[in-house]
Amino acid sequence: MTTTAEYFAVMSPQIILLIFALICPALDLWLKMRKGIAYWTLIGLAAVGIIETLALIPETRSLVSFLFWTDPPTTEVFQISAFSQLFTIVFIFVGGLVAYASPPYIRKEKHHGEYYALLLIAVTGMSFVASAADLIVIFVGLEIASISSYALTGFQKSVKRSTEAAMKYFIVGGFSSAITLFGISLVYGAGGSSNLAQLGTLVTVGGALEPIVILGIGMLIVGLGFKIAAVPFHMWAPDVYEGAPTTITALLAAGSKKMGVAAFFKLFLVALLAVKADWDVVISIVAVLTMTVGNLVAIQQESVKRMLAYSSIAQAGYILIAIPVATDYAVAGGILHVITHAAMKSGAFFVIVALTVVGLGETMKDFTGLNKRSPFLAFSMAIFVLSLAGIPPLAGFYSKFVLFSSAVFEASGAYSWLIWLAVAGILNSALSLFYYARIIKSMYVDKGESTERLPVPMSIKIVIAIALIATIVIGIYPEPFLSASLGAAEALNNLLPIGL
Amino acid sequence: MFEDILQGVPVLSLLILLPLIGAILVFAFGKSLKIVRIISLIFSGIPVALVVMIFFAFQWGGALPDGETFADPQFYESYSWIPSLGVSYTVGIDGISLPLLLITPLLTFLSILFSWDVKTRPKEYFGLILIMQVGITGVFVLLDYFVFYIFWEIVLIPMYFLIGIWGGPNKDYAAIKFFIYTHVASLVMLLAIMALYFQAGATSFDMIELGHVAPGFSTAFQVIAFGAFLFGFGVKMPMVPFHTWLPDAHVEAPTAGSVLLAGLLLKMGGYGLIRVAIPTLPQGATTLAPLMAVIGIVSILYAAVVCLAQKDLKKMVAYSSVSHMGFVMVGFATLGSVGIVAGVFQMFAHGLVTAVLFMSCGVVQHHCGTRIIQELGGISKMMPVLTALMTAGFLASLGLPGLVSFAAEFLIFYSIFVTYGLWLFLPILSVAITAGYYLWALQRSMFGPLNNKIDAPKIHDANWYESVPMGILIALIALFGILPAIILSRIGDAVDIVLRGLGVG
Repeated sequence: MTTTAEYFAVMSPQIILLIFALICPALDLWLKMRKGIAYWTLIGLAAVGIIETLALIPETRSLVSFLFWTDPPTTEVFQISAFSQLFTIVFIFVGGLVAYASPPYIRKEKHHGEYYALLLIAVTGMSFVASAADLIVIFVGLEIASISSYALTGFQKSVKRSTEAAMKYFIVGGFSSAITLFGISLVYGAGGSSNLAQLGTLVTVGGALEPIVILGIGMLIVGLGFKIAAVPFHMWAPDVYEGAPTTITALLAAGSKKMGVAAFFKLFLVALLAVKADWDVVISIVAVLTMTVGNLVAIQQESVKRMLAYSSIAQAGYILIAIPVATDYAVAGGILHVITHAAMKSGAFFVIVALTVVGLGETMKDFTGLNKRSPFLAFSMAIFVLSLAGIPPLAGFYSKFVLFSSAVFEASGAYSWLIWLAVAGILNSALSLFYYARIIKSMYVDKGESTERLPVPMSIKIVIAIALIATIVIGIYPEPFLSASLGAAEALNNLLPIGL
Repeated sequence: MFEDILQGVPVLSLLILLPLIGAILVFAFGKSLKIVRIISLIFSGIPVALVVMIFFAFQWGGALPDGETFADPQFYESYSWIPSLGVSYTVGIDGISLPLLLITPLLTFLSILFSWDVKTRPKEYFGLILIMQVGITGVFVLLDYFVFYIFWEIVLIPMYFLIGIWGGPNKDYAAIKFFIYTHVASLVMLLAIMALYFQAGATSFDMIELGHVAPGFSTAFQVIAFGAFLFGFGVKMPMVPFHTWLPDAHVEAPTAGSVLLAGLLLKMGGYGLIRVAIPTLPQGATTLAPLMAVIGIVSILYAAVVCLAQKDLKKMVAYSSVSHMGFVMVGFATLGSVGIVAGVFQMFAHGLVTAVLFMSCGVVQHHCGTRIIQELGGISKMMPVLTALMTAGFLASLGLPGLVSFAAEFLIFYSIFVTYGLWLFLPILSVAITAGYYLWALQRSMFGPLNNKIDAPKIHDANWYESVPMGILIALIALFGILPAIILSRIGDAVDIVLRGLGVG
């Protein structure tokens, strides 16, 4: 049996995050120093980051439930492994960047304490999903993160589109949560357990309850599809991403969406792996649709923020390739793409944050001649979008390479159709270059109306620099990130009882 | 003598690093035009000295006592880079890479010299040319597919900017067209690389290692993978019907961009075919050789005929590149020793010759303000030096005996005759067409009565920084035209290895 001390040890990251979150509003009352709360948030995130990275636990450790009505009582509900660690580090990394970049961006708003508290709670929820070993815990984590994200999206109360985005996000989010929960309950009902690993053996092909499982799978694809904005469940995403404060957009794109990916991995590659034949084609089609529609619509956008939102949709499509391919190597590619996307996409959104802070807008016109006004911003943006397009030797190239090549690798025999996933991914990469190149062109080639230097705040510059360094370092020396992703993929695989 | 100097020096890595350092210095310290010029000349000049040393230190010629030949890569270096995927940084050269490696720093150095008067954003201009040199050098020396692909892609971005920023009126269209066409082609090549990697057990991207394993793969696999390579490299070369990006890119690109594009970037496609595709997938090559021959011959003839109709001098030269690269394709398609050696030599020759041609077009544009043949005429009197150099370049390109292209094209014709017999009559038609369009264009634009649209007193001859690079190139064209064996003999050893894979040699 697990001792109480062990509960605290295993759940310490989430507990620490929550404590820091709960103190944030109080600090707002006492401190009166706005930046102080941001630093407090950073300290909390850093503490957890240090626990996750330094106190690396060599073996997977699980918590046995005392909260839930599991039967038999020894099933795990919460599990820390290389997988949960890596995802939590990504969430913390993104959360930290957002917290550090926020003070200049939200300086005109009130209630800073709540902003950072919600940010920390959102990160807590995300790490919950990454560490979950049980359907219920996954759902609880999803809800914790989603509900704080709704509030964060509407944080700019005076801005109409922010409120509109929050409403939209809330309604769609609530709807998708309900569908997800319905799917979870169907899978639970058919399998007889809420534990992911047990479901892996209980839900099998040919069982009498398979139709119910298929219905559950459909619900899960729809519900989680909304969460990660997969086509055709993506309609809300561009509006929400565009309307939310841009710092929060970075969190949504690089954090919340990746939480959905983690849930996808856990549900489909652990709990429902035995019935892979029931969902692999559907998810493949969703993946191809997602990347294609995302890229095609992105081409037509004039607002760079909206363009990046669509490109984010497309990137989720690339990650989805990992699920039907379902090998460790493919999942490692998906996880690596989560890491690289966190750096390059949040970096790109922070460039927009910087432009907004200095009084420019979010459209292509505001990027015109940026090279003259702020060479640093222009260079960073160029690197981020080239990396998103998958140009070597930048971070995005490696994750796409692993993802696409995994589909080539598995494409044989009855699964030879998997090659089309790689082909679609590659064609989409070429397609995406078209709109990314437009951003680069307007920054470097076109002449802007003004050549006045932009006074970008130091903290935002530092945040962009960190994302930039991450993008370049992963590009030049991908080995540690790749082997960490492989380790995480194996850890996910190890959740399953042997024999599958 | 040079062997001793280069002993233990990672000279190929230096060739990649030096321009990179130069580019970083230019971007960091290029405050004035003078500093930019000096830094870029130094960092593109040292590699020229290095390749000359490599050329003399390169070992060649027949068998060693134990039956080994000099076909193994020389100046070999290898370091593990991404062990999880089996990627390593491996460089080395053999007779196939040597000639192309020779012209890479040379053409970059001469284009930098030629661009002496570029005053718009010089920092970016020279920095990008140096970065392009990094990519091209890497492609010609790397022996690991993964890193090869990375360097292959690095080349695209500077070229996109060179066309996009310093290009002509239609530069946006040309730049994005260039980028998309060549990027899609590289992605198809990447698919083929992935397939090879996994088919061989997903342990290594090493070209030599895969080159040993891959010939044993099934014919169906080889044909598909070879087809993907052929598309990837063929678009780059470029071959009809995927050549349309080239004239657009050339017409808009600044002169140095055109020189590097035609002189070096196109060679990457041909080099890829002979370094990677043919020896690694011999059965695929044997099966698709007729297709290659047809594409090559169509390119030769079609592009030559199109040249006749061009109004723009530079566009004509661009199409002539398509035609001349067709010879490379046909040479390789024969899959025989002479054809392959001649194909590699043709790439070397075309690199030197086409640089002169594009530089001539650049000078004409620079001094007369137009390249449209109709608007020129009779300017030889004002520009005697240019006319002499340009005529020499045109004659070299049309295959005048004694100049470098003649040796290459003659050998290719010979190999076509050996392999395909009297089908030779098709490609040989192009000799007449080529002579026709070059001489006709020369006559209309440079000689004859003075065109009254030209403001004659304003025109002066080519500047020193324009005529010196062209002069150097003409001297080399003559040298290698008279003594082609200097290069041909060094290519031979490596080609024997290719042929052994094909079961011919």
